[in-house]
Order: sequence, then C-alpha cells, then structure tokens
Amino acid sequence: MKEADSVLAVREIVKVFDEGNQRVEVLKGVSLEVRAGEVVALEGPSGSGKTTLLSIMGCILTPTRGRVEVRGQVVPMDRPDRLREVRRRDIGFVFQQFNLFPALSARENVEYALNVKGVRGAEAGREARRVLEQVGLGDRLDFLPRDLSGGQKQRVAIARALAGGPAVLLADEPTANLDTTVGTQVLELFRAVAKREDKGLVIVTHDPKVRAIADRVVGIRDGRLAA
Amino acid sequence: MVSLARRNLLHDRLRFAITVAGVAFAVTLVLVQVGLFMGILDKATVTIQHAAADVWVTSRETPNVDFAHAFPETTVLRVRGVPGVERADNLIVAFMNIQLPSGAEEGCLVYALEDFRGWNLPWVVHEGDVRDLRRGRYILMDRSAERRFGPFAVGEYREILGRRFKIIGTTSGAASFTTAPITFMHYGNAQELSDVLRNRASYILVKTAAGADPREVAAAIRQVAPYNDVYTRDEWASRSRRYWVVSTGLGMNMGVTVFLGILVGIVVVAQTLYTSAVEHVKEFGTVKAIGGSNRDIYRILGEQALIAAVVGFAVGGLLSMAMRPVMAKLYLNVLVSPSFAAAVFVGTVAMCLGAAMLSFRRVAGIDPALVFRA
Repeated sequence: MKEADSVLAVREIVKVFDEGNQRVEVLKGVSLEVRAGEVVALEGPSGSGKTTLLSIMGCILTPTRGRVEVRGQVVPMDRPDRLREVRRRDIGFVFQQFNLFPALSARENVEYALNVKGVRGAEAGREARRVLEQVGLGDRLDFLPRDLSGGQKQRVAIARALAGGPAVLLADEPTANLDTTVGTQVLELFRAVAKREDKGLVIVTHDPKVRAIADRVVGIRDGRLAA
Repeated sequence: MVSLARRNLLHDRLRFAITVAGVAFAVTLVLVQVGLFMGILDKATVTIQHAAADVWVTSRETPNVDFAHAFPETTVLRVRGVPGVERADNLIVAFMNIQLPSGAEEGCLVYALEDFRGWNLPWVVHEGDVRDLRRGRYILMDRSAERRFGPFAVGEYREILGRRFKIIGTTSGAASFTTAPITFMHYGNAQELSDVLRNRASYILVKTAAGADPREVAAAIRQVAPYNDVYTRDEWASRSRRYWVVSTGLGMNMGVTVFLGILVGIVVVAQTLYTSAVEHVKEFGTVKAIGGSNRDIYRILGEQALIAAVVGFAVGGLLSMAMRPVMAKLYLNVLVSPSFAAAVFVGTVAMCLGAAMLSFRRVAGIDPALVFRA
C-alpha cells in the first residue's frame, strides 16, 4: 500500500523566547511529520511547548531554528506574506474557544473565511453550505453563535477550518469547553472528516478521549518529543 | 461578500448610535454654523446683489455698503460721460432715526433714489407702487421692521428725523447686516432730512452698456472721479463681506466653531472605532490566523468609518434642514449651497477615515498567536 503523502512536517524545530533578561528555550529540536488522512494527538503537560509547536506548524509563529514543510515544500519563515499564503491555502485552524465572529451567522462565519482565502460570491455561499452540511449543521445555517450550543459552535469552527480545502487541520484543545458527550461527538466528527477528506489532523489536547480517535499519540515534555 | 465591518457595527447598536451621533453632531454644527454665517453675510450684500448696477462709485475707503459717506452729487455728471456707461444715478444710503408710536426711536437704513424701478430697488414689493414715492413724503417700509418697530400698516404715518412720512407700501428681504430694516424714499426727501446730505450723495449706481466690460468701465470712471473709489458689483460685494468677516471677528468665530465641531467628530469616531478595535482584537487575530493581512483589517475599520460617515452625514443633514424653519422664526437664514453640502460630505468622510487610521497602528500590532490563548 502506497504510503500517504506528507502534508505537514517540522524538522529540528528550536524556539527560544526572550522574557526580560532571560532566554527561555521552549522547543529543543522537535521533528514531527503528519501524513494525509492521519490523526495525530499531541499530548503534554502545561508549559511543555504543545501550543508553541502548533503555532509553528500553523505558520503563525516562526522558529528560532529548524524548518517547516507543507505539502513537501519548505516554507520560507522569513517571508510574512508567504506565511499568510500558507495559512490561507493549506492550514485550517480549530481553536479552544471556537473564535467565531459573533456578529456573523454560521454560514457567514464560513463564508468570511472563504472570502479571506479569495473565494467570493455564490461560490463561497455554496462551499459554506456544503461544509456546514458535512458537519451536520445544514439546519443551522443562519443561526448566530449566541444561538448555538457549544458543540454546534465547534462544528461551525470545524466547517470554517475545512472550507477552502486545506491540506491539514490544526486543533488546539477543541474539546476543552465541551461536556463529555458533546466532546466525544466532536472528536468523532473530526476523525470522520479527516479520513473522508484525506486531511492531516493534529490535535493538541489534555483530553484522554482523543487517544481513542488518534492514529498516533505523540507526547511532548519540556520542549522535546517523548520517546 | 460578507461584510464583517457592517455586521460588527450593527451588532453593537448602542455603540453605532453613539458613533453616528458624534458624526451627526459635527455635521449639524458645521452646516448650521456656516449656513447661519452665510445667511447673515448674505444680508451684507443683499442690495448690491439685487440692484441693477454693474459698477458702484463710493466715497474713499467706504468699508461696506451700510456705512456710506457722502460726496458731491455732481460727480455723477462726469461719470455719465464715460464711454461704456449706459446709465448713472445718485443713491443716498444713510442711517436715520424713526420714531415709533410708543415714542421710542429706532434706527432704519434709508435708501433714496429718484428712479427706483430702473435699478430694481426694492426687488420685492408687496403693497404700493415705488413710483409713488416721488409724489410726496412717502416711504416703503420693509416687513422685517415689524420685529424691531412693532406692527405697522399701509396708510400709517411715522416720523423720520422730525418729518412726517406716510407708509404707502411694504417690501420684504430688504434688511442690512446691522439688522436695521431698509426704508425707501425719494432722493429729494432724503436730502431734506439732513444737512449732511444737501447736494451730496452716498453712491453712484452705474449700468454699463451692452457688451462693455464692467472692469474696464470702472477703470475709466476712476480717471474722472479721482477722489472716489470705484468697484464692480462683485468687487463691492466682496469688500462689504470682508469687512464684516474680518473686522467683527465673525469669520474667526465661525472658523473656531467649525474647527471644534470637526474635532468633536474626530474624537468621537476615533474613540468608538479604537474601543471597538480593542474589543474585537481576538476577532482580528483570528482573521490574521486564517490568512488575512493587516490590509484586510484596515479595510474593515475603513468600511466602518465610511458607514458612520454616510449615516452620520444623513442624520446631520436632516437635523440641519429641520432647524431651518426654527431659525427662520428668529429671522435667521441658514444658507447651505449644494456645493458646500457636498464639501461637508467629503470632509465628513475624510474626518471619519482619518479617525479610523488612528486605530491602524493598534491592529497592525495584533499577534495572530493570541488566538491560542484562553
């Protein structure tokens, strides 16, 4: 069986923060590769560097040393415009606090993300409807976030992340604000979507339920991947 | 395309209302203040604009049309001989005291000519015939006099400088910048009222011949009347306006008020947009995280500023229009030309966009990584 293509890889990532007079090395040479359709859970205690690693993988933060590859191409980390382009085209984010735009409906939240990615007009509307139906919210298109449950908001966030066809989805503690039942449903949805759409999926989490849906569990301690 | 700018604005209606109110206040202040100014200033040149005179001959250094000084009336004979002059007549303009039925005295501005109709003075006559002024001690009084003199009617008598005159008609629109109503009487009657005016006139009105350039005719008149000042209609109107704007501080007052109005508008819009930007910093961080640029966020703020400008201008414009009948009851005219209104609209947009730009630096510094923080 042909091995799936690498959609996202980080090689020897080092990240140092200057905090006052101190230099704090948060990541100490981390390498990780994610393949299409693969679900990777990234576990670790607070302060281990999980979110920093996710930020670098998502081309939001730049590493002090090391490189990031998306779809096999090295991303030039010294070019903010290229980083933006990678985020627009290849990365879908799902955040712990959903980060939906409260003034926009579910459909408009997804449409706006598509507009940012350069998809406009009727095409954006059609794509927004498609991904929202995919995550089971076909009957909630015009609901504002305040009128949606926590689980429904996270589904909208997943739909927004899927819109535009990114190669990889990055989720930061996606079940932290959800109850057990809803959290399980959201995780199952994550896996189903990743497999069906052949996306790489990285989930940063404290939630042990994530292990049940992950193809691979990677631990991170003190800025290094645990053996 | 989804307008995050518009939806965010309307999502917080109270803040939107405050922003619009700030812009509307600034717009109303500017439109009404300048409109009042223009209305008041209009009075400074109302007779110059309506009189059918292309050139005015005045005494030396006359500052404006109300403050006339007398000069020999024979000067008109030399003026009539200038090529390009179709017609020239003496005009007396003088403040005179009029006695009211109560015994009090008030001031009025007397305009006296031999032939009013030839000069389109007065320009609106409600009752009476201006030709009858020559038939005796008769006057036409402007209706604006009712405000200061009390009610009056055709057929009543009033004393001017101790002489009894019969009111034979009424006019409207004829009031000086000083608010003294204009009273029209025959030239000879005016000269009889004051020794200063014996054989003297305040102005010479000149109508140029068809095809003649008023500036050239004025220059020629200066040669024959070296002890007078000579102006075209526009020059004379400009001089009269300038006197009131500069020497009374009216222009400075208006300028300061307009400046303060604009400042209030900028502060309100800048404050609300900046506060909104701070409150929506996580949203803007999300926009950046999903691939949006600073320019995308500037566009959001700019669109919000534009919406505030358009809606605020509309509300301010409506308020200004609503104030016109109120001002009219106080005998104040709010004059706003379409071109000035357009200029205020452009200024409003510029003001709001400028205010929005104060937030640009704040949003440019938003770190998209903040979306990962709780």
